[in-house]
Amino acid sequence: MDIIETHSVTKNYRVGVGRARVREMVPPPFDRGLAKVFPNWWFKDTFNALEDVCLSIPSSSSVGLVGHNGAGKTTLLKVLAGVTAPTTGTVQTRGRIAGLIDAVVGFHPELTGKENISFLGSMHGFKRRDMAAKVQSISEFAEIDEMLDTPVKRYSAGMSARLGFATIAALEPEILLIDEILAVGDANFQQRCARWLDEYRTQGGTLLFVSHNLSLMRSMTQKVVWLDHGKVVQEGPTATVLAEYGRAMERRSSDAAVGGKNQRATKKLMKATGMNRWGAGGARIQEVHVGEPTNDSLTVTINYEASNIEQGYFCLGFVGEGDNEVGAAVSDSVMLREGGGTIQCEIDSLGLRSGIYFPVAAIISTDGTVQDRWRLDRAVVIERDQNLLPDGFGPVEISSEWSGGKGDQVEMPRLRSVE
Amino acid sequence: MFRRLWSHRGLVASLVRRQYQVRYRQSMVGIAWAILPPLATLATATLVFDKIANVQTGNDPYSIVTMAALVPWTFFASSLTSGIPSIVSSGQTLSRLPFPRAALPVGVLGISMIDLAIAASIFAIMAYTVGDGLPLTALWFPVLLVLELVLVLGVVLMASAINVFARDVKLAVPLGVQLWMFLTPVLYPLSEAPEGLRFFYLANPMTGLVESFRAVLIPPGNMPDVSLLLPTICGSIVLLVLGSWYFSAVESRFADVV
Repeated sequence: MDIIETHSVTKNYRVGVGRARVREMVPPPFDRGLAKVFPNWWFKDTFNALEDVCLSIPSSSSVGLVGHNGAGKTTLLKVLAGVTAPTTGTVQTRGRIAGLIDAVVGFHPELTGKENISFLGSMHGFKRRDMAAKVQSISEFAEIDEMLDTPVKRYSAGMSARLGFATIAALEPEILLIDEILAVGDANFQQRCARWLDEYRTQGGTLLFVSHNLSLMRSMTQKVVWLDHGKVVQEGPTATVLAEYGRAMERRSSDAAVGGKNQRATKKLMKATGMNRWGAGGARIQEVHVGEPTNDSLTVTINYEASNIEQGYFCLGFVGEGDNEVGAAVSDSVMLREGGGTIQCEIDSLGLRSGIYFPVAAIISTDGTVQDRWRLDRAVVIERDQNLLPDGFGPVEISSEWSGGKGDQVEMPRLRSVE
Repeated sequence: MFRRLWSHRGLVASLVRRQYQVRYRQSMVGIAWAILPPLATLATATLVFDKIANVQTGNDPYSIVTMAALVPWTFFASSLTSGIPSIVSSGQTLSRLPFPRAALPVGVLGISMIDLAIAASIFAIMAYTVGDGLPLTALWFPVLLVLELVLVLGVVLMASAINVFARDVKLAVPLGVQLWMFLTPVLYPLSEAPEGLRFFYLANPMTGLVESFRAVLIPPGNMPDVSLLLPTICGSIVLLVLGSWYFSAVESRFADVV
């Protein structure tokens, strides 16, 4: 048996607040009867946060969970942790589970850090003596030494997050569920967490990891499960699933942009910032064809329309995960063909690290006015076979030659192989 | 349910410790608040029932007769008022950590037990100063306490679980406890209760308990009256069975609703 197995797990939630929950109040043997007799009333205002989720996660693997907000990621973690029971289906886990669900551990605000450590330990079945022995290492890891005897309510958000992670780490779980924890804390602490997690995995721990930070996910997991509206869309090797997910993500945002509200917002923005697509003398990008990235090189063809504008230059930029603008290829000033034409951009070396990038094409007139700026709905997925690099180094691959060490070629331990 | 609770007894102990640590934090007199409430109730009751209403308590001083009942009553009342909302008030912890949910109300009972010990020591001091000491039958005290514990546990498990789904329970508790106290011979002996309502008094499981505590604690010391205790024994067992069945039937839903 795998360390985590779920069989067709469905979790049904009831929406609506403020009223007494009469339906939930009915204890098990009777609730099924009521659901049968009054199905309309019973299933009113309900939705499935998880639907028919079948997963099996082998021991000592690390698996990522991606999906939009409300896709059911946190619900899945809660069901796995045993915090809430699935409506139908079964969950089987082996070994001690610890987790940071919603990036919060469940500290008591009035208790001091030290008291909370021992409290959290007792929640996981540790004796007080065992936890007392761990206090020192926990406070070192969390760097809250001087605050140990202060109530947690006086901690900053970062401090309680650090203490939460450090305490969970000290519990030596066999299964670790993490929900966006690395989004908090400073870069230094994130590094230490990433290092700890690496060690945890090499020592045979099983990790289930929810994050919107795809580059972190790429470096930490071998397998990704993509959830949407409570259903598993795709499940497989990290690179494959994240590439698909990235494309879907971009399709989705461009679909949304077509909708009336957003279009109005875009127009408004264009007016406000002086951008113009249709104005007299403007040029417009008609079509962009992005080739498959091969060997770090990329060919992009741009069809444009132009009238009453003679000269301008083209720009092909890349936006990375988290909407970070990464860099751009900029053309020389070119004479625009009256009516329209085609221009081709050959990029020899993209110089980007593994990730999902969205091209942005623009025509800019010589006075620096953006005539048209278009973020494409197709992602460029870069997959490099390279060493594991924790988050925080940016998306730019700086080409370099390294020498020294034993022999000329330095043999680096390969922590991850890209499928 | 109880087996799972036993395997997590360290957690229950730590819940009790947690609440005790938190309770008197940022207060000036701290632990004195554990002694003050029963004494204040006793003083007020003495003024109203003894001096003004002139309730008859036979040969024993009113304060002793009342304190012997206040000890078990305060335990009952404080367990209910803090035990019933215990699950809802731990919502944060509940929705993130898997642990036997019954540890929360049971932990609250632990806190009330500490208060009970304090109130009982006050009674013991009073018995030797104001009264005529403690009779040998006072050894029945732990037996009666176990019976009361069964009753309290049944009520708290049932009501705290229902309170998750319908918060009306928590809102009704202060009123309910207050009314229950007036209909239980706490601040007056059962002999002073109106004849016409005698049936209701006897059906009330707390009546038998409170009267038995009085009987065994006040000299000369009588054995508990079994006929008076019968409704208590039956009621406690039925409530505990019902309460623990309902609690374990719905506890997996707490995190979704709370």
